[in-house]
Amino acid sequence: MQKKFKRSFDELRNIVAMTESVFREEELPPGLRNVVDLATEELFVNMVTYNTESKEDILIRMSPHEHGLEVSLTDYDVERFDPTSAGTVDVDAPLHERTPGGLGLYLVMKMVDSIHYEYRNRQSKITFIVNRK
Amino acid sequence: MFEIEIVNDGTVAVDGRLDAAQAVKAQAFLDRVEGQCVLDLAKLEYVSSAGLGVLLKTHKRLMGAGSGIKLINVNNHIHDIFRYSGFDKLFEIVASSD
Repeated sequence: MQKKFKRSFDELRNIVAMTESVFREEELPPGLRNVVDLATEELFVNMVTYNTESKEDILIRMSPHEHGLEVSLTDYDVERFDPTSAGTVDVDAPLHERTPGGLGLYLVMKMVDSIHYEYRNRQSKITFIVNRK
Repeated sequence: MFEIEIVNDGTVAVDGRLDAAQAVKAQAFLDRVEGQCVLDLAKLEYVSSAGLGVLLKTHKRLMGAGSGIKLINVNNHIHDIFRYSGFDKLFEIVASSD
């Protein structure tokens, strides 16, 4: 299943609805839902927040994978930004040194089973896989 | 869907999904909270980094005034997110009894 979404946080509810539909149709384990929801939201929000020069919708594709679910997000007419090379977060830092910045991509890298970035013809595509446990 | 309200005993109860679309609503509510804040997460289904940011900002503000946030009824999934984020070292957390 694939759909395009406008560059708005209001689309998150529609993305969740798409994910629900895919899980139901593919009979995927409910235990995978939160990781898929989190990774999809964080990557979508990152595109909406930082790729502000583009007016194009963002394509999300979800397809069954041998071991679980593969999700890709494609952003059009944007500069290269590889989320997998984002800086790390010091999660052991004391409260006064902590800021929320960077936490989203850090969580994605910690929680998905694999992730891959491609950039071609001003299209930025990030694909992740969440395996059945 | 996301709701946040003060219930009878002064606890702040949240219900639903605290994502980037709901973070502004949550932050506006928590910005009005003063003193020790007990946040009941029993009905919190999901939290993303935007929601974590709201909790962190509020906790830092309240800690600066000598209090803070205590998180209660935290389910396993939400607790995993807190653990990955290092929030389990920053907040007092009481797990769900389920």
